[in-house]
Amino acid sequence: MSQPVVNCPNCGAKIVFRWSSSVQTVCEYCKSILVRTDVDLKKVGQVADLPPDSSPIQVNTEGKYGNKAFVVVGRILYEYDQGGWNEWHVIMNDGTSAWLSDAQNEYAISLPAKMQNLPAASQVTVSQQFTWNSQPYTVTVITPAHYRGVEGELPFQYWDKTDVTFVDLRTESGKFATLDYSDPEPALYLGEFVEFDDLKLKNLRSFEGW
Amino acid sequence: MGAGTPPLSGPPKPQVKALNCPKCGAAIILRSFGQAETVVCESCRSILDAKDPNLAILQQFEIKTSDTKPLIPLGTRGKLRGTDYEVIGFQRRSTKVEGITYSWHEYVLFNPYKGIRYLSEYNGHWNDISICKQLPMAAGGGANYLGEIYKHFQTSDANTDFVLGEFPWQVRVGEHAVVTDFVHPPRMLSSEKMDKEVTWSIGEYMYGHEIWEIFKLPGAPPEPMGVFENQPSPVATNVTSIWVAFAAFAVFLLALMAVFDMRARKEQVFNRVYQYKHADAKSEASFVSDVFELTGGTATVEVKSYAPVDNHWIYLNYALINQDSGQAWDFGREVSYYHGYDSDGSWNEGKQTDDVVIPSIPAGHYYLRIEPEADPSLPFIPYTVEVIRDVPVYGIYGIAFVALLLPALIISWRAYTFERSRWSESDHPPMDLSNISSSSGDDE
Amino acid sequence: MFRKFYLLYGFLTLGIAAFGQYRGWSLDSINELKNVPKSVRDNPGSYRSVYSGYHHYTGGK
Repeated sequence: MSQPVVNCPNCGAKIVFRWSSSVQTVCEYCKSILVRTDVDLKKVGQVADLPPDSSPIQVNTEGKYGNKAFVVVGRILYEYDQGGWNEWHVIMNDGTSAWLSDAQNEYAISLPAKMQNLPAASQVTVSQQFTWNSQPYTVTVITPAHYRGVEGELPFQYWDKTDVTFVDLRTESGKFATLDYSDPEPALYLGEFVEFDDLKLKNLRSFEGW
Repeated sequence: MGAGTPPLSGPPKPQVKALNCPKCGAAIILRSFGQAETVVCESCRSILDAKDPNLAILQQFEIKTSDTKPLIPLGTRGKLRGTDYEVIGFQRRSTKVEGITYSWHEYVLFNPYKGIRYLSEYNGHWNDISICKQLPMAAGGGANYLGEIYKHFQTSDANTDFVLGEFPWQVRVGEHAVVTDFVHPPRMLSSEKMDKEVTWSIGEYMYGHEIWEIFKLPGAPPEPMGVFENQPSPVATNVTSIWVAFAAFAVFLLALMAVFDMRARKEQVFNRVYQYKHADAKSEASFVSDVFELTGGTATVEVKSYAPVDNHWIYLNYALINQDSGQAWDFGREVSYYHGYDSDGSWNEGKQTDDVVIPSIPAGHYYLRIEPEADPSLPFIPYTVEVIRDVPVYGIYGIAFVALLLPALIISWRAYTFERSRWSESDHPPMDLSNISSSSGDDE
Repeated sequence: MFRKFYLLYGFLTLGIAAFGQYRGWSLDSINELKNVPKSVRDNPGSYRSVYSGYHHYTGGK
């Protein structure tokens, strides 16, 4: 992977991109949100202090999914009525981008899927069924969440969102899907739940006493 | 520019937090790195908001709730399913059935990488519980989870009576839930309905000594009482295999019988009719027979006696004597037969023949010494003495059959009573033996 | 585990049954005496039976 080195336009610190296709990153030192243009980085906002969280994953954590290795390069934090969760942005060793979600130590990997005719948020109800890739997905939960912050490299611009609606869908076989209504255009992610042990994570956060 | 910017060491390491209780000032330790929703002050037992840096008071008590000391102290660590967990919370819950309160205990276990698990304990029976990742499906009156069918065991109201430590939900003393248990030993599927929300959890039975080993606890675990809902039956798996083995043995036994039956020579070596005269009894009644030969290896000898007695008896004192070795086998046989009529109809008792098998007689030349006696009212009677060499003894097979049957019956009985004991605590208790239903428990 | 015990037990039982048949065991109780002299053939009354000395049958119902 190419590792272009640039400097933060706000504080001058060195910014390293682990992924060549990153669109946005956050400066570790001054917490400025930086977006990549053709030539250089542009500051578009500031990340407030992230809430303390208990995820064992951190940027630079490495792991395996299937037969591909991945590294964590960024994340988006969300909060909802039952607590918070992280969507970790991971880069596979073949250069593709995926998401590792971590909610109260329940882990799942999902990939963006391009589908036509995705429903609008107002049109979705619980127990509704959709078929993607010849699999039937049933809506299980509609979650109003709000965005709490970003960290690291992301494949799109994402900051200062407020309330976001997520729709969770499941298949009978343990696969799941998420409809993400952060943007006016709904985005679909397809994935499955994974066990912590199967991810073979390395370079995890260390906890005092553990 | 940032030439002199020092490198960052990464995000701060999550730490165990030490705070003070806002009500009584006692020390509060938060061990779950932000995962707990509530924490209980050990001193005043107030329930505090673990996510609030000021630990807002959520529930407090004027009188102390009745204490329970957890069997596994908070803060103890143990390795469960290959992962270290720390006990961070404890609660005592109860349910009332027919006026009697039954209490049980639940422990909250925490690992920063694997998350939260639970241990429950009731009357010495333990369960390792985790929240279901997939939703079970309804299956008749029961549930289907991950391909296994769970039978409905009971539905009850669970009340939270006492809490200690940290919890990943907003626990309150006095909160209650409708709990439904489904069992497929050794596993149990439970649904908890609190307000409008339903949570499913899956538990696996554990023995006290396993818990004691895992958490390295002193002393001995409490003795389990009765049979618990999902306690695995120590004998169930054996029942089918034992009966299969029994069937195989029974076939073997029959084969053995057939083989030895063919092998036995059943050779008649002596057959004589004698006359008993009452007059002889006064003088010497005993006499000896002619010598006959018993051939072959050591084998049985059958002596058959026959007399046409009719409401009389004769008694024959026999001795089978080896002419050369001087060894004798001494035995007395009665031949008696009675019959008549009474208020119930006709009856009879006894037989006109008698058989006896003398064991392990070596080959050689033998004779019989016979001393007959008879009913004093019998003046004379003829009787036949027959000697047969090498007969099979069927009684031995009978004993072997019973010996083989007994363990199978015992095992089946134990498995049966174990299951009855299990289901007697459920919403579907087994009925009286007089109208037996199978323990599938779906008759009520 | 229990199955192994039962199999062992079963084979043992069958083995004993077979051995018993082969060696001519019987279920009836017989008393053995030794050294019966050859003179008993001429004088049967001299034989000392286990049952001698008493009539242990009075017969009747």
